[in-house]
Amino acid sequence: MAADGPEHQRTPGRRIAIDQDAIRELTALLDELGLTEIEVEQDGQRVRVARHAAGVAVLPAGERAAVAAAATVAIAGPSVVAGMIDAAAHPGLVPSPMVGTAFRAPEPGAKPFVDVGSAVAAGDTLLIVEAMKTLNQIPSPRAGTVTQILFEDGQPVEYGEPLMIVE
Amino acid sequence: MPGLVPGIHVFLVEQVVDGRDKPGHDVSRAHVMFDKILIANRGEIALRVLRACKELGIPVVAVHSTADADAMHVRLADESVCIGPPPAKDSYLNIPALLAACEITGADAVHPGYGFLSENARFAEILREHNVQFIGPTAEHIRLMGDKIEAKRTAARLGLPVVPGSDAAIESEEQALKVAEEIGFPVLVKAAAGGGGRGMKVVRTGDDLSGALSAARAEAQAAFGDGAVYLEKYLSEPRHIEIQVLGDGKGGAIHLGERDCSLQRRHQKIWEEGPSPAVNAEERDLIGERVAAAMRELKYLGVGTVEFLYEDGEFYFIEMNTRIQVEHPVTEMITDIDLILEQIRVAAGGELGMTQRDVKFHGHAIECRINAENPSTFRPSPGRIHQYHPPGGLGVRIDSAVYQGYAIPPYYDSLVGKLIVHGKSRTECLMRLKRALDELVVEGIETTLPLFRALVREQAIIDGDYHIHWLERFLSRATEDG
Repeated sequence: MAADGPEHQRTPGRRIAIDQDAIRELTALLDELGLTEIEVEQDGQRVRVARHAAGVAVLPAGERAAVAAAATVAIAGPSVVAGMIDAAAHPGLVPSPMVGTAFRAPEPGAKPFVDVGSAVAAGDTLLIVEAMKTLNQIPSPRAGTVTQILFEDGQPVEYGEPLMIVE
Repeated sequence: MPGLVPGIHVFLVEQVVDGRDKPGHDVSRAHVMFDKILIANRGEIALRVLRACKELGIPVVAVHSTADADAMHVRLADESVCIGPPPAKDSYLNIPALLAACEITGADAVHPGYGFLSENARFAEILREHNVQFIGPTAEHIRLMGDKIEAKRTAARLGLPVVPGSDAAIESEEQALKVAEEIGFPVLVKAAAGGGGRGMKVVRTGDDLSGALSAARAEAQAAFGDGAVYLEKYLSEPRHIEIQVLGDGKGGAIHLGERDCSLQRRHQKIWEEGPSPAVNAEERDLIGERVAAAMRELKYLGVGTVEFLYEDGEFYFIEMNTRIQVEHPVTEMITDIDLILEQIRVAAGGELGMTQRDVKFHGHAIECRINAENPSTFRPSPGRIHQYHPPGGLGVRIDSAVYQGYAIPPYYDSLVGKLIVHGKSRTECLMRLKRALDELVVEGIETTLPLFRALVREQAIIDGDYHIHWLERFLSRATEDG
């Protein structure tokens, strides 16, 4: 972890730069040790990485969590994927239309519906979201290529959660 | 932690919390306690429930629509799940999404708050089928009290005084006229599937009866999908007085006194207080015990409110609400009992935390429901709150989910927050309320704050001399005076 942290500007509660290396390292620790939450404080900057939580919060010292502006980022699951911070605004985004558990393949052990690089037509099944024992096939909203897969097999997802990028 | 750069402090937090280990809470009296509670609601009540869960050491799952992603209780919850787009039918009323959220988070109990699915018997049943505890009464009791005709029958059977009226739905105009003449005009035509004051028509003479019946039927069919109507004696200037109850589901039940909720606009309560200025200790004990006995016979589980109209010293049952109510803090302030905590305790199979003898009332409390509405026209005023300063000090409580910078979404109710004030006497309470109302700052949206500032200075309110029509007459006088 970098001893001198990233430069960040402190317009009140607006722009806060995120140290991606720090987050990656913490996330690896989280996975490795099987924890649900890690919080680290250094040089007045605090980072918390939590499993299934509302997001990663980077809190400059002295700023109360309750009033901090939207520096939170939706995390898809136990791991943060590079570039995910931009996913929510991506035009090719396929967000989850429902709450449930996302699976890459029609059944355990089978081939995934798509991989990165797969060409899809509008309506092709990209993944399954299971809720209460019913399997719901999630169709691609457009024709294109799968450029990013933003979830892990078996990961719980919420409404609007970024699942894939198809462009 | 080995291997890390020195100078870094690492706080490792494990998710699993066992409420039984928390000191100062008698949760050990419950046979088990929930591992995780999902709050199926939003706004101030979601925050209220979250607070009780946190004090019990129970992890909280907050569900929210996309419009509520920045809600205070979502920020404070241990986990959150976005369950849908803004419309309530796609989110807070979306039972499959709520069930899926329970499934993926492992929540073993759901608190439904008030409104939304809190009195939906089907929801309670579905949760039960999925081994998730609904924090509330049984589906059977929800159904029983949800049908207003059936509820009245049950109340009468349980020995509660009821408003005289038709014992069942009106079948014909002849029957209606006969009943009306028996109970005496004026009468009220009410929708059986209504409630909360909706679908009611006053009839003063026999000539108006048939027209009112047809109109009421048509409106009831349109609003509630059920055109059944019944008749009740119309009381001219009653007070609305309700009794808070708590039952353990095993035949134990107590009452926690009354709240006077007579100040209403379009049947919506805006100011509630306890004790009622009109009720003395003896009356309270009498009606309270009758209600508690009725709940014991029902083996009622959880909190509930039995609502009465009160006129000339007589109580008349109108309906029962089988959920926590908006105005529950009034009771909490005068009894020092945490009603949400008690709800959770009995839902988990625990005993009541106290006997009737343990329940003591001290002082007086008043709650004002402050809405994001124009104070004269009551037009909703959603928007961003630029400046927010809640009052504080001894005996002042704010139950609100707003904060400075928060934008009130246009999709749900317009409640900004509840200001609840306690004093050793009603006089002291009113003085404190006046002070607190003057101190409260909410800018950026219109609110009904000016109305409360006027009410607290109004002689009839100071005297406690009002009834269920008082507020609307006050408001129409105010508009006439310009």
